Amino acid sequence: MSVTERIGRLAMGAEYPWLRSVSQMMPIVAVVLVWQLAVDLGLVDRNFLPSFTDTIRALWDITRNGELTINLLVSTYRAVGGLLIGSLLGVMIGMAMATSKRADQFLGPLVATTYSLPKSSLVPLFILWFGIGDVMNMLTVVLACLLPVIVSTYHGVRAVPPVMLWSAQAMNTGPSSMRWRILLPAAMPSILTGVRIALGFCFVLTISAEMIAAKVGIGKLIFFYGESGAYAHMFGGLLAVVVVAYVLDRLLIAFMHYLLRWHDSISASSAHG
Amino acid sequence: MDKAASIARRGISALGGALTYSYPLLLVLAVWEVIAQAGLVRPLFLPTVTQVFEQFWTLLLEGEIVAPLLMSLYRAFAGLALSVAVGVVIGLLMARSRFANWAFDPLVSFGFPAPKIAFVPIFILWFGIDSLSKILLVAFTCVFPMIVATHHGAMAVSRTIIWSAEAMGTSERQMLSRVIFPSSLPYIFAGIRVTLPVALIIAFTTEMIAGGGGVGALLMFAQRFFQTPTVFVYILVMLTTGFILDRLVLRLEAWLMPWLDEQATS
Repeated sequence: MSVTERIGRLAMGAEYPWLRSVSQMMPIVAVVLVWQLAVDLGLVDRNFLPSFTDTIRALWDITRNGELTINLLVSTYRAVGGLLIGSLLGVMIGMAMATSKRADQFLGPLVATTYSLPKSSLVPLFILWFGIGDVMNMLTVVLACLLPVIVSTYHGVRAVPPVMLWSAQAMNTGPSSMRWRILLPAAMPSILTGVRIALGFCFVLTISAEMIAAKVGIGKLIFFYGESGAYAHMFGGLLAVVVVAYVLDRLLIAFMHYLLRWHDSISASSAHG
Repeated sequence: MDKAASIARRGISALGGALTYSYPLLLVLAVWEVIAQAGLVRPLFLPTVTQVFEQFWTLLLEGEIVAPLLMSLYRAFAGLALSVAVGVVIGLLMARSRFANWAFDPLVSFGFPAPKIAFVPIFILWFGIDSLSKILLVAFTCVFPMIVATHHGAMAVSRTIIWSAEAMGTSERQMLSRVIFPSSLPYIFAGIRVTLPVALIIAFTTEMIAGGGGVGALLMFAQRFFQTPTVFVYILVMLTTGFILDRLVLRLEAWLMPWLDEQATS
């Protein structure tokens, strides 16, 4: 084995698993270093890009005085609350559409036409109807999360192999337990894929709605810092949002793996998210 | 005579099919019209359907629909094109080179779930409030799904195809351009189909947040002056645009890759 090959194997974490996670961190560390150096060496104007250390200092600043914490909590509450409500409704509607022909005929065209509507366009309307605040914000998030979950539930339930249904029927399974004890678990991989798409939407919609009109919320805060020229604080707030969204995505993946621990696809590809 | 009758019958059955498909939509419009006409809700909150269509016509004649829509579409498509170009290159590189994969994989998995819309203030700071910042934000948002789609496609190329190409002495560059790229095209196209609505959403939303023309900016403008019929007109314009574009991409896919029958219909 040549030296370079050995280093390559080391870097890929083939021999020591902990080296693997260190190696995975390296590109991010490199980006941060380039960022810091570019500002410190004066390659980029400090007014356009505050350095990494300035950003962290500002982040620490707004965390300590509570400004970040409260706004981030409000936004997370809106995003995750909207996601939960939207996913639950989406599973129920998708299940109804997949199991009843009448529901499919009625809801199908509505879902197909509203699917491609940018849900943020409803924000001005909801401001008119409900005023600025949690209701308008969460309703937008619910609608945005609803559609991908409906579609993924529908396709997941439709793809359940008929053999499974026949066996369940042969064992005298009633329509309601057929739905929630046979079809729901069997469609779970597909449903969770939809929920993961919806997770991506929920923060985007919360923040867009907050940037359009809000009294509190992280989107409002970032926009406010930007308008008042506190760019280090703006970057700090942004960094916090990116980290929170990343952590939530990882949590959902861990939850998916837990829920689907019986499923082939998980044990086969547990490494890839 | 018989032919005419069969054509007429087919026409009627097609009309019937269209009606059964669109009756829920018509029903929603009818309920809306009845509620608004009966005065159950204040017209400021819910104008009648007829008012909305009259307003649409007026705005259309004043040139307040087509030009702003073209502006929004230009931003969305320019950003999308940029993201496809960059995303395909990075995705292919990640599939073929271990170094590229090592370098980009953490960045992609960190950047993918980030709500890119939060970067609006930064993009305004860096690129101004005109089209450039919006196009670049669209590209920044769409590049991640494009990288992932291309990477999946390039990884799914069958080993035997690669081995045959290698056995015939294909160079690495030709391998990318003549083997890997064409066989990952269906995935790339699926990626574009998923990403196109995102591009539209981001273009409209940045216009709503930052102004600077386009349908999104006009929508916010109408809301600030409580011109509710105009608000509905622009929402419906966005809805129709998204719907038509999605259908067009489906058609394009079926036309470009007719061998992918099952994917095109799903």
